[in-house]
Amino acid sequence: MSIRVNPMFIDDLVRYGAEDVQLCYQCGDCSTVCPHADEVYKFPRKSMRLLQMGLEQKLETTLEPWLCYYCGQCSEQCPREADPGETMMSLRRWLISRYDFTGIARQFFRSRTTEIIAILITAVLTGTFLLIYGFSGGNINVYDGEGAFLPSPFIHKFDLSVGAILVVFLVINAIRMWYLVMIKGTPFDVPWWIYIKQFYQLPWHFFTQKRYAECEKKREHAVYMPWIIHLGLMLGYVTMLILVMVYIEQLQAGPEIRWQVHIFGYLATIGLSIGTIYFIRSRFKKHYIQYKKSHGTDWVFVVLLFIIVVTGIAQHIFHRTGLPEMANTTYVVHLMSVVPWLLRMPFSKWAHLIYRPLAMYFAAIRRDALVRQFSIINSNPLVVK
Amino acid sequence: MCGTNIAKIVDVEAVAKFVSDLPNVVLAKTYKYMCSNPGQEMITQDIKENKLNRVVVAACSPNMHERTFRNALRSAGLNQYLFEMANIREQCSWVHTDPGEATEKAKTLVYAAICRVELHEELESMSVDMCPNVLIIGGGIAGMTAALEIADAGNNVYLVEKNNHLGGNLARIDLTAPYLYSARDLLTEKITRTSNNKKIHLYLQSKVTEVTGFIGNFKATINSLNGTSSDKSKSINVEIGNVVVCTGYKEFDASRIVHYGYGKLPNVITSFELEKMIRTGRIETKEGKIPKYVAIIHCVGSRSQEFHTYCSRVCCMTALKYAHEIKSANPESYISDIYIDMHAFGKGHEDFYRRSSEAKTLFLMYEKGDRPVIHKAAPKDDCEMLIEVNEKLSGEVIEIPADLVILMVGMEAREDSREVARIVNISQDKEGWFIESHPKLEPVATTTDGIFIAGTCVAPKDIPDTVAQARAAAARILARIAKEKIEVDALYSEVNENLCSGCRLCNTLCPYSAIEFLEDKKVSHIISALCKGCGVCVASCPSTAIKGRHFTDQQVLAQIDGLFGVI
Repeated sequence: MSIRVNPMFIDDLVRYGAEDVQLCYQCGDCSTVCPHADEVYKFPRKSMRLLQMGLEQKLETTLEPWLCYYCGQCSEQCPREADPGETMMSLRRWLISRYDFTGIARQFFRSRTTEIIAILITAVLTGTFLLIYGFSGGNINVYDGEGAFLPSPFIHKFDLSVGAILVVFLVINAIRMWYLVMIKGTPFDVPWWIYIKQFYQLPWHFFTQKRYAECEKKREHAVYMPWIIHLGLMLGYVTMLILVMVYIEQLQAGPEIRWQVHIFGYLATIGLSIGTIYFIRSRFKKHYIQYKKSHGTDWVFVVLLFIIVVTGIAQHIFHRTGLPEMANTTYVVHLMSVVPWLLRMPFSKWAHLIYRPLAMYFAAIRRDALVRQFSIINSNPLVVK
Repeated sequence: MCGTNIAKIVDVEAVAKFVSDLPNVVLAKTYKYMCSNPGQEMITQDIKENKLNRVVVAACSPNMHERTFRNALRSAGLNQYLFEMANIREQCSWVHTDPGEATEKAKTLVYAAICRVELHEELESMSVDMCPNVLIIGGGIAGMTAALEIADAGNNVYLVEKNNHLGGNLARIDLTAPYLYSARDLLTEKITRTSNNKKIHLYLQSKVTEVTGFIGNFKATINSLNGTSSDKSKSINVEIGNVVVCTGYKEFDASRIVHYGYGKLPNVITSFELEKMIRTGRIETKEGKIPKYVAIIHCVGSRSQEFHTYCSRVCCMTALKYAHEIKSANPESYISDIYIDMHAFGKGHEDFYRRSSEAKTLFLMYEKGDRPVIHKAAPKDDCEMLIEVNEKLSGEVIEIPADLVILMVGMEAREDSREVARIVNISQDKEGWFIESHPKLEPVATTTDGIFIAGTCVAPKDIPDTVAQARAAAARILARIAKEKIEVDALYSEVNENLCSGCRLCNTLCPYSAIEFLEDKKVSHIISALCKGCGVCVASCPSTAIKGRHFTDQQVLAQIDGLFGVI
């Protein structure tokens, strides 16, 4: 079966950030230097080729873009300045828009204005809702306890509702990813027990991001900083998410500090602050190749995160220093940023939080199934090789 | 020693020692590079000091350095033919691995050379007048360039062109790759100057039907193609000293490749048909639509076992030029460039290739030996044709949409090249291209002295190379004209008229048409200026009446004796 080439695809991918892919002449230097490419998963060369030729049906079933952590060595080596690292990044953005059933991700990636308007609308709606609720039953001068402006049981329910929406989107998209990758894109049998055998990959990659560190294994002067910062930032999110979704009442109580809860909050805040500042600084300074090009969506993310971190710290301090009015106000601003930031996740690059560990899991399954397929073919002389 | 080329296998010191003990040998020496200036000076010095009267050099092939060493003899005041070379490089060190045996063989070869050189005679080269007129066959860019060069130096040029206009294949082209100069601009100036030059005698719609004679003294017949062949008044005879053949190429007939559907699918066209479209200013399909998808297929007729195995050299860059021209004319169109390898070897070519990549030309590679297949698309497709090919870099079998397909037809020798070769007495290779005297060191000379070849009648090449060859041929001819006389090698055969029975066997065998029959004396006579000393007549003569100078029976037999005498 032959697949139709789509010469227009390359123009479309420019909006996702792949500006130089047409320069690639397939020398394969990128795949040679890549610490992750191997015989089964050939990238970036092969991915660049599929992109150049516009073979969308092939591309949407590939895992290769997720196996890249963008160390940038390929882009440094590329003799044609075709920027394979950025191309893989763009393909990840494109894949996210492919997994997303709503089509929102596609709109966001293709137009920064649409994204900013959507964020502003969500923020304003959140703010209006919280203010109406607060003024209808509470007092702006009370932070917690009786007559509180935003009582913590209410916030708890609010958080869980936002979380539920988030989970629905992510689960549906993850299933779509599974269908594209494992059903459409895997032309051989995958027995169920391989799914179980390789299941450990999910938490393992989620919590260690070991492959990110392995990016440095071939480099002469290994740079582990981006990995450490990224890991800290990610653990910060997860801790914060658990605190907000489960322990919000304890977190909000005060003004005394409950160390058994708050210590986690402080640690998470440190991780998030350092991460945010590091990434903003890197995107400005452009020392490393992976920060040379910033897509519009990248900036929206870091700016929102920065506001969240600052208002989060501020409302905590105001509450502890006896300024409930100030604390309530910053809290509303905080939530106005948190809600769009969280709801935006399934439609942005930050969905990689889910897709990457899933991709590692699927990649391991596919590899196992492929090896099994080969051993079946090799042991059965009747099967034509 | 030739550095280590010879010395690493052959024990040259042992050879020298062996030789120095032989009778008649005065001196035997080794030297690191005998062909170098100090090496030659050493030979000259030794001849003078030791009053040597024969010299043997054991080194490389005489093809390479016989002339060099003959000059060394000449500068020592010795006749240059009192010299012999033993080839202990190509015949020993390069072909043998056993040093012991190779050294023994080297000794034998040197001994044989010594046996032969003892019988060498002093010979004198002869000199003939050089007629300053030049005949140029072909009025393309090569012919005009050579003609102007020679005529500007004050010599008469007879420029013969088959068509009714000058310019050749270049006149069929719009822009040239990679700098996008207009071909018309390149040609107009040349055509005007050629037509206006008083020294250039232009024969359009004419053809050379006969060339006789030898270097410096050719006679040619030019026939007009206008009238009938019986029309004697249209036939002109000219006297010339040299000939430049630049008859160019013809394009490959694309209908020979059935897969491409050329001639059946209306929008499959050749590169020359596209050139015509570009010159009229509109690139469109037969239905008059602007093509959205354009596909360019490389190597049509070239680099294939079925048709021509060679590369036509210009098509890759021409294809990139089309990509550029089509994109500038129709910015909305998508161009797929379907190739085997991208040959971007020349000056500015790689940059041009890069610019095409930047302009998002989609490059698709297929395996040599494989071939794309063009189908008509289904009505539901948004294109007219689909090209199926096994794309090499992705490993996928793909379909490429196309509204217009351009076949990059390769270059072929002209159908009348055999006739031209026969008339001017030069050889052709199996593809029909004219053969140079040496592919590297004599790229414009032929085995027939005084006949030069330039441009795409020799092999496919681009405009700069063609012009360079034309100017090279012109320079060679001008140098000879400036000398007024030409020295002809003394290696020709002679007929002993007393022994000749007049059987005329040699007359028909001579590959250089150098033997005439003297009707009055009823004997054969060899025109020494035409004779190359090949020895065919010597071997064939039943009366042993012919002697090959410098290759006498005695000399050759002495050498053979030498080969078997030792060991």
